[in-house]
Amino acid sequence: MSQISNDTEFKQALQSLDATQNRVVAALFIEHVMALCNDDRIQRAVNVAVNSSVSDDEISDALKLAKAAIMDSSTRCGAEGNWTEQAGYFVARATVAALTPPAQSRSGGTAWQAAMSCRMAQTSILIDNESDEVAATSENEWQYGILSGYLKS
Amino acid sequence: MSASLDKGINALKEQVDSSVAAFFSSCVHCGMCADACLFYTETGDPERTPINKTEPLRRIWKSEYTLLGRIGKMFGLTAKVDDKLLTDWETLVYDSCTLCGRCSMVCPVGNDIALMIRKTREGMAAAGHAPIDLIGATKRAVTIGSPMGVKLPALMAQIKHVENDTGLKIPLDVVGAEYMLLLSSMEIMNFPEFIEAIAKIFDKAGVSWTIASEAFEATNSGIQIGVSDIAAELVQRIVDAAEKLQVKTVISPECGHAYMAIRWDGPNLVGKAFSFKVRHILEVLDEFRKDGRLKISGKEEQRLTYHDPCQISRRGGVIEQPRHLIKMFSDNFVEMPDTGKMNWCCGAGGGVSSNERADEIRLKVFQRKKDQLDAIKPDAIISACSNCRIHLEDGLEENHMDIPLMSLTETLADHLAED
Amino acid sequence: MSEIEFLNWVRGPGFQIATIIFVAGVIIRFAEILLLGRKTNLAEAKGSEMRSGLRTIVTRSFPDKSTFQRSMFTITAGYIFHIGLFVTIFLFAPHILMFKEIFGFGWPSLPTPVVDAMAVVTIIALLAVLTHRMRDNVLRFLTTKEDYLVWLVTIAPLITGYIAFHRIGMTAPTLLAIHILSVELLLVLFPFTKLMHTFTVILSRWYGGAISGYRGVES
Repeated sequence: MSQISNDTEFKQALQSLDATQNRVVAALFIEHVMALCNDDRIQRAVNVAVNSSVSDDEISDALKLAKAAIMDSSTRCGAEGNWTEQAGYFVARATVAALTPPAQSRSGGTAWQAAMSCRMAQTSILIDNESDEVAATSENEWQYGILSGYLKS
Repeated sequence: MSASLDKGINALKEQVDSSVAAFFSSCVHCGMCADACLFYTETGDPERTPINKTEPLRRIWKSEYTLLGRIGKMFGLTAKVDDKLLTDWETLVYDSCTLCGRCSMVCPVGNDIALMIRKTREGMAAAGHAPIDLIGATKRAVTIGSPMGVKLPALMAQIKHVENDTGLKIPLDVVGAEYMLLLSSMEIMNFPEFIEAIAKIFDKAGVSWTIASEAFEATNSGIQIGVSDIAAELVQRIVDAAEKLQVKTVISPECGHAYMAIRWDGPNLVGKAFSFKVRHILEVLDEFRKDGRLKISGKEEQRLTYHDPCQISRRGGVIEQPRHLIKMFSDNFVEMPDTGKMNWCCGAGGGVSSNERADEIRLKVFQRKKDQLDAIKPDAIISACSNCRIHLEDGLEENHMDIPLMSLTETLADHLAED
Repeated sequence: MSEIEFLNWVRGPGFQIATIIFVAGVIIRFAEILLLGRKTNLAEAKGSEMRSGLRTIVTRSFPDKSTFQRSMFTITAGYIFHIGLFVTIFLFAPHILMFKEIFGFGWPSLPTPVVDAMAVVTIIALLAVLTHRMRDNVLRFLTTKEDYLVWLVTIAPLITGYIAFHRIGMTAPTLLAIHILSVELLLVLFPFTKLMHTFTVILSRWYGGAISGYRGVES
């Protein structure tokens, strides 16, 4: 399996996975940005998502947890925005994407949607980070690495 | 800006014109407006009857602009506007009204009650009786440029993210572009995929567009709190940017009150007709559809319905366009009972969702929308306002209902045909 | 004062005073509204104000199904007593004769038994409307002393007219005088109460329709 180096390859590789694999990979992406979220419900939901042998009921319960976490972390219209906290919102969004049944999922598949939200979480942190430091490795590259590792195993 | 009762009374006086006088003269206390207002129907609280919310304005009209009222005032017989009245009315005028305008559609004598409530807010705000959260949002809008404190670097970060994901350039400050897109802070913070969707659609449509770094904010807190001077200042920023970039059309994004503010109130606030057009993103997308610029592939299989954002449909006049667009990617579309211009408000607009004190009632009145949804049992809801979206998600979550919200623009972008 | 003198006063000076106050009052109320003016709308129009305004004057009388279901009593009772008032005032032969004297022309009338029945129906409808106003929680909250006064001066001519026509209780001249007096009371209070909606409804419906129509929404 050649190294994934851009989004086209990334998306293609994700689409070759089945529903369960999508969910598990999505969970791996989320775990990489878990530090940006301090909602315990998300950790619990991701623990369910990363397990390939959970029941549909457990998935559905975890999805409810994640949705509740979104509502509590989104910024209300007109309220003073905090980008560091907003990162937690995007991690919650990623978790919902991971646990959403494929039929209801947006195009690209659940793992792709989760990956996008994880990247958004990272972007949010950078907005608050006033320094000009550029991360050595972008979130995209981390995700390519995670997916490659998963495909090999 | 210091507030005082006198300023409030003067503000109310300025709001009385011939339409307001005609409206108050014709009201017969029939109570039909209550039956049309979700803040009454879902609470049973008669104080929330729409025409009652206008009492401060009515007292000024009566005592200043009618013969009988002026005579009565001389003898101290006409009801006054004082701080107690305004204090008592704050939760009616702000927490219990989204300016949705459904009352205005059913009043048998034709009163535009929502307009009268909007006018009443001018007096409330000038007298210092606006909700604290709205005051905060408005201050941030004036000093920072966004009610949520979203500064240009934050927008740039989101833009960079979108550019990386799509491989498309987001054109900034392009002189002579045809379209200038505004964004609401809600979209930038909570739904940045909207920017991505626009980039993809406009690229495929082959039209020139831009975002102005000096004026990207669409939401207008001045409209919600009811301070026309501030609302005018916020509009002027957009006007200046649009003229500087010489764009033909300014686009209002998926936000309800932003459209009302820039499209319908804007020129009247700044006192001059615009030299450019203003269109809602749905109007622009529908034009693309008519011109054959949108190639759509694949259908949404799930049962879809459309929630009409009040300021866009009933108060804005953009009713048919979303339906034409939805039918491009759906053969399984069902209307809500009471639809189009008579659809029910989600319960969060007009500053209600910005006001933490109104959380409880906001979630309570969601019952009206829940009843609509229970009647048609859709798989998903499409809408075109970020505020409606977050609040509907909130209400659905509270009621353990699993019906995802989809943005019309984003869904359309998802279905763009690859060429 | 004898009953004939009473009747003559009511028909003569009384009527003149009431009419002058009524006409002057209505003109003043209209002037109060129109002289305030309204700013021109500078936004790009999507529809015609005039057209939508005129249209709404008519269409606002026909609520949509859902609205009707939610306000069924108000709408139904409202229709009954408004139509009833129109029939009893303008389609009753003796009244048309009076209008002919004032304006110089008359118009066809409805058969008297029909008008008589309508009067009864209208009185019942107004009683029902009052009961509703006193029991419904929104209406109880909104209702002012003026609303009760207006109800009284509206039903009084109907009741006194019915009694006069059927000659119940007193002599014909006195009953007629009382009836005419009740109408004069209505005329005198008319410009200073919500009864003005009879005329201003044209303005308010026009404005409401125009404002909405400008934005492209027919209301």
